[in-house]
Amino acid sequence: MTTTRRDLLRFAGGAAFGAFLTPAPWRLITDTALWSENWPGIPRPARGEIRTKFTHCSLCPAGCAVRARCVGQQPVALAGVFGGLCPFGVTAHHLPYHPARLRQGPVKEAAAAVAAAIAKCGPRERVAVLDLRPGRTASWTYRRAMAGVRNGTYIAPAQPPVSVNLANARTVLSLGAPLLDGWCSPANAFAARDRFRLIQAEPVESRTASLADTWLPIRTGSEQALALSLAGALDTRDAAERTGLAERQIVDLARELKENGPALVIDCRMSQNVVALNVDLGSWGRTIVPRPEAPVPAAWKTAAPPAELAAVPDGSIRVLLIDESAPGEYLPWNEIQKKLVSGNPLVVAFACSREGYGQHAQFVLPAAAFPEVTDDLPAAVDAVAPGFRLATPLIPAPDGLVNPVDFVAGVAGLAAPDALRQRADAIHASGKGKLVTYADGKSAAVKEVKADEFWKALNAGACWTGDAAQPGRAPGRDFSPAAEAAVPALTAVAAELAIADSPLMSKVYQESNLRLGPDRVAMHPRSARECGVEDGAKATLETSAGQRRVEVMIDSGICPGVVLVAARPGFEPGQAKVVRI
Amino acid sequence: MKIRGKILFLAGAMTALGAGWAGFPRVIYRSRPQPVDFSHKVHAEKAGSQCEDCHAFRDDGSFAGIPALDKCAGCHAAAMGTTAAEKNFIEQYVTPQREPQWAANARQPENVYFSHAVHVKRGQVKCEQCHGPQGSSDRLPPYQVDRISGYSRDIWGAGGRPGMTMDDCVACHQKQGLEHSCLDCHK
Amino acid sequence: MKRYGMSIDVDRCNGCGACMVACAVENNIPPAHQGANDRKGITWIRVYRVDNGEDFPDRRSAFVPVLCQQCGEHTPCASVCPQQAVDVDPATGIVGQMPERCLGCRYCMAACPYHARYFNWWDPAWPAGMEKTLNPDVALRMRGVVEKCNFCHGRWHAAKQRAAAAGKKDIDPADYVPACVDACPTGAIRFGDLNDSATAVAEDARKPESFRLLEKLHTDPKIYYRSKKDWVKEIASAPRPGARKESLRG
Repeated sequence: MTTTRRDLLRFAGGAAFGAFLTPAPWRLITDTALWSENWPGIPRPARGEIRTKFTHCSLCPAGCAVRARCVGQQPVALAGVFGGLCPFGVTAHHLPYHPARLRQGPVKEAAAAVAAAIAKCGPRERVAVLDLRPGRTASWTYRRAMAGVRNGTYIAPAQPPVSVNLANARTVLSLGAPLLDGWCSPANAFAARDRFRLIQAEPVESRTASLADTWLPIRTGSEQALALSLAGALDTRDAAERTGLAERQIVDLARELKENGPALVIDCRMSQNVVALNVDLGSWGRTIVPRPEAPVPAAWKTAAPPAELAAVPDGSIRVLLIDESAPGEYLPWNEIQKKLVSGNPLVVAFACSREGYGQHAQFVLPAAAFPEVTDDLPAAVDAVAPGFRLATPLIPAPDGLVNPVDFVAGVAGLAAPDALRQRADAIHASGKGKLVTYADGKSAAVKEVKADEFWKALNAGACWTGDAAQPGRAPGRDFSPAAEAAVPALTAVAAELAIADSPLMSKVYQESNLRLGPDRVAMHPRSARECGVEDGAKATLETSAGQRRVEVMIDSGICPGVVLVAARPGFEPGQAKVVRI
Repeated sequence: MKIRGKILFLAGAMTALGAGWAGFPRVIYRSRPQPVDFSHKVHAEKAGSQCEDCHAFRDDGSFAGIPALDKCAGCHAAAMGTTAAEKNFIEQYVTPQREPQWAANARQPENVYFSHAVHVKRGQVKCEQCHGPQGSSDRLPPYQVDRISGYSRDIWGAGGRPGMTMDDCVACHQKQGLEHSCLDCHK
Repeated sequence: MKRYGMSIDVDRCNGCGACMVACAVENNIPPAHQGANDRKGITWIRVYRVDNGEDFPDRRSAFVPVLCQQCGEHTPCASVCPQQAVDVDPATGIVGQMPERCLGCRYCMAACPYHARYFNWWDPAWPAGMEKTLNPDVALRMRGVVEKCNFCHGRWHAAKQRAAAAGKKDIDPADYVPACVDACPTGAIRFGDLNDSATAVAEDARKPESFRLLEKLHTDPKIYYRSKKDWVKEIASAPRPGARKESLRG
């Protein structure tokens, strides 16, 4: 009997029938599904012991205390110790893995170039360090380094000479400062919120304005005029004209500040007029106090004094070292450029990405990103007493990074390997103040703690708070008149603060419209018509910080004449142009 | 010759049944030896260890699982007995400070949440109920892993029918009247 | 039996978005794919900007965080799922979404009146190295399944485990706080057991200015909003389209 095809088919049929009565095909289906759950490309969370570590967030000078939930050594979630963190702080542990993060840089070449340029410095040329976040221990090291270099200059953005005491305030007038959206530590602002009435005076209805008790929609650039008129240094009618408010509103506001004290007036930088207005309202020593600073080793006092950029002669800087790794206020590049020598200035930027001054520097050297940094935080704008808090690294920094402090100290031949420890020792030696450790929430007087324990505690998550100094005599009521500048047809105003953001911030920019994304602007329909753009149009935004391609959104709730932008490094509110592409 | 057709059909069915029931498990599962020939019995008797001495709970209730090298090296820094297995362990793992890559039979997929603390401390389930008489076993049970899915064949060890699906967990929960919601056991 | 719910003070929300990103960190939600926008992204909690419909300078805005409302009796999503991938936990009242059972038909997304369910249009992907920051207490989902807020179930598990380890029968309420509540810097979001009349949430739910979204649909949600502003309450009850000027932002 020959085997026919039908025989084979019968056999196969039987085999198929029998196979389905065995576990084999069902197992294979299940296994394929299980395999697809774990096939290459699907990441797996690491397993390990859950630990808690403490540090301070170094993304902005508020320096909120952070509790990190770690799997093994790796932080997987951050939370505030005294309250909530801002969204940037919540996602800060992602920054080391940001695609734009710099990992490598020409360190040796930069060092050689700097040494060569310094040697070539002419008699009227100088070497300068630009420190975007002054007031740190690193800043002292830069100042000491510059004191040791011939014609060394230490430049930093001017810091407010005062701190504010929100806890004491009953009425707060904010001239455009985002008090409830990042001006100071969110935990502090909201802890004090229920105790004061907030009047927000600014052209756009910002987040702070929407939560304030009153929003005064004043014209762009008229904050100083309002401050002056509240102090009686400017005629109310003039102020009403400039701000666009009714005279009666200004009079009522002045009365409220006087009668519902203690009052506090703030603006973004605590400008001279605002400080003087506060003094005029009797707030000195109550809601504004001198800016405190933690003790410093006596040997450091010979450090170079901070200079403002404007005070540096034009065309005099041959070598400029910019520490952008601890960002604060960005000075506009065109202002900086004026101070560089015309022929071959050398600019070295220490940064975590190329987006800031890296665009203009000859060398961009990679610095540690949070949470890899070791740094201290300067006194925050709402720090009433001197404080010392460390941002201690939660994970080790990768190889190839540069510590800007070591680099600059090396350039100046200054040996300053453990400046932070020296500072901590000096603070401990002063015997004043108390140490609050976060792990157990306990507070101990510094006198009762040994120097080594003090240092260890600071590194494990603690803060030192000194005694608030006596406020002393109030500064004089020096008002500087507000020049009446022509109001530009279109003014760019920042809707968001520029802080490093994790890829997860796409939730608030791209996957929702909660915050204005970096590639979007918002305008009133009338302003948009004047610029020739409509909703969704692609356009170029020109501001003092440069040009950018953006998409336009129309919103009739925005002040006409204002274009809302998401602030980037170097952004200054001011004249803007939106040109359709 | 219609009967011939039926016989062939039956022959096919028999072959498939045999292959599926007897041959398939041999093929689909791969045996992997454990890195160290560990004897629970020796440690329980000679060292007087209890389960909790090595398989401990942490303060937050999480389970430490199979102990890390530190735990073993604590006693076995030098040879304590005369077996070849121990000598091998010290040479291959303790001295070069290398973590043994234990194959955990009970390893679950990522979306499964199992809490030892809740079962042992609150449910008063004894170790032997799920893991079988591990504590008195002289050799570790053989580890068989599914070639395609990568999961072990038998998450138990109690000596019953090998199983790795949730049916066995659900059966016990149903008996105890503790079946509430999927998210109780899934993450 | 507990009934976990939230009370959200809309007058305190400043729209910072910390809750949105904290939720993404806790629940292993990936950063946006290139093609994602506000309709294809995954934001288990999403803060909407609403306004009173006026133009400048009378415009007033508020921020409303919307997450899965954890509907009570007649959960629309549970009743339409062909896979039984949604279940309501009788012990906690939490509506759980099971991505492992989901086949991705998105019927539940159509059924949810709050648009609180999100579909994985793409495979989740993180920038190189960022997968080290994933939370081990929450499983990852794959492309093709629906996901939504489950009141941070990973934290519920951890709280139960901690209670069991301490020999207690009931969890410590301080141990079970969802990520959004934890992260909110203004304290606008509160979480707790609605069945326990002593909790802050239960008290807030009883306040006269409390309301729930789309009450007239009788979904019996467990998220109570409150605001002293009438126009916010109006928005919550969603008047007919065209009854007010919509702002296109937010």
